[in-house]
Amino acid sequence: MEDRPPHEAELVARAKRGEGGAYEEIVRRHQNIAFRTAWVITGSAADAEEAAQDAFVKAYRALGRFREGEPLRPWLLTIVANEARNRVRAAGRRERLVLRVAEERRPGGAVPSPEAALLDFERRDELLALVADLPENDRQAIACRYFLDLSEEETAAALGCPRGTVKSRLSRALGRLRERMEATDA
Amino acid sequence: MPELERSLTRLGQELDWPPTPDLAPRVMAGLDERRPARRRAFPIARRSLTLAFVALLLLAGAAFAALPGVRDAVLDFFGLEGATVERRTTLPPAPPAGPLELGTATTLDDAAGELGFTPLVPADPGAPDAVYVRRGLPGGELSLAYHARSGLPRARGTRLGLLVTEFRGDINPTYVGKVAGQATTVERLRVDGEPAIWLAGAPHYFFYRSPGGRFVETRLRIAQNVLLLERGGLLIRLEGASGRERALGIARSLR
Repeated sequence: MEDRPPHEAELVARAKRGEGGAYEEIVRRHQNIAFRTAWVITGSAADAEEAAQDAFVKAYRALGRFREGEPLRPWLLTIVANEARNRVRAAGRRERLVLRVAEERRPGGAVPSPEAALLDFERRDELLALVADLPENDRQAIACRYFLDLSEEETAAALGCPRGTVKSRLSRALGRLRERMEATDA
Repeated sequence: MPELERSLTRLGQELDWPPTPDLAPRVMAGLDERRPARRRAFPIARRSLTLAFVALLLLAGAAFAALPGVRDAVLDFFGLEGATVERRTTLPPAPPAGPLELGTATTLDDAAGELGFTPLVPADPGAPDAVYVRRGLPGGELSLAYHARSGLPRARGTRLGLLVTEFRGDINPTYVGKVAGQATTVERLRVDGEPAIWLAGAPHYFFYRSPGGRFVETRLRIAQNVLLLERGGLLIRLEGASGRERALGIARSLR
């Protein structure tokens, strides 16, 4: 019989019982999204790394309060995002988030993904520039919901606001992007 | 999904994300450093600890039943070694004022012999008017009470101007919980290089938690202005009506 990877609820239960290996597996499964979410908030890879690392330590200490049966990722992202925001507050400033299209995704680079072929590269740069020009809150909402592909619930957790606020920020941000794209096309 | 949203999702896959570091080894090392039982034994009678723990657990169910609102959505989460602070959409109704239940009255010298740590006393305002020890947790908890006086305005619901409590945050990592509403200021600070949290403004509450994460007091207590700070493995809580700068001055004078 083929071994299946342990279900997340099983890992959480084992981690709550003090099994370090189970928590390590949880960290490995979520470290990428945790780090990227922290980076979107802080704009700094060094701060994001520190925030994500401290968040996983704090999450472990708070694991006893995690309600079994609920999805772990939004809970983790709440802690990660708060750690990231605390660093921004402590520093008194936020690094400007620099969003770039990866070089290997550009024409002439390595083999483009099928998705890349769907989005004209000039159009991508233009869209990215428009996102970068959005107000901070709107840009973070777009980055979490679409660039990180978080669910609405996870986006709300990452932004520290209710889902209704996420919806309204996204709606406003998308409206602005459409307007500006139309203006550019005209 | 409309075209713009699809384009944004595809764009996310094409971005030049900074490489994700392998956090797992460092996280696990951080957990090992904080595992208390392997580091130090405490001079606390096992029987009294067990009795206290059982008594606290009996109270826990009542606490949950009395606090339906406390499980509302968490807006912000802050953590220190020994305390967590959550900001929530709504707060439960204000609990009635009650005794502070600080433990057994004692002296600083006797407390020092009983606790699993060396007590710290703020040089400003100096020696406390009363000292209490609470034995229900590993290492014990120390409370230093100061009557209201010039420079220490009376805190809401008490006759005290300042209450300082101390316990081993490194071995009781989530012992104190704070629940604040949206109107409360919750500010992350550093005091002498160590992390701290300042809570002020609208009422907020605190409660104690068992190692399993359950509430262990029958009711939440209203707190006024509070500075929570880490100091060499201790979690120190300064409560009173003093403002932020005054509280920071007191914290920096802890010796």
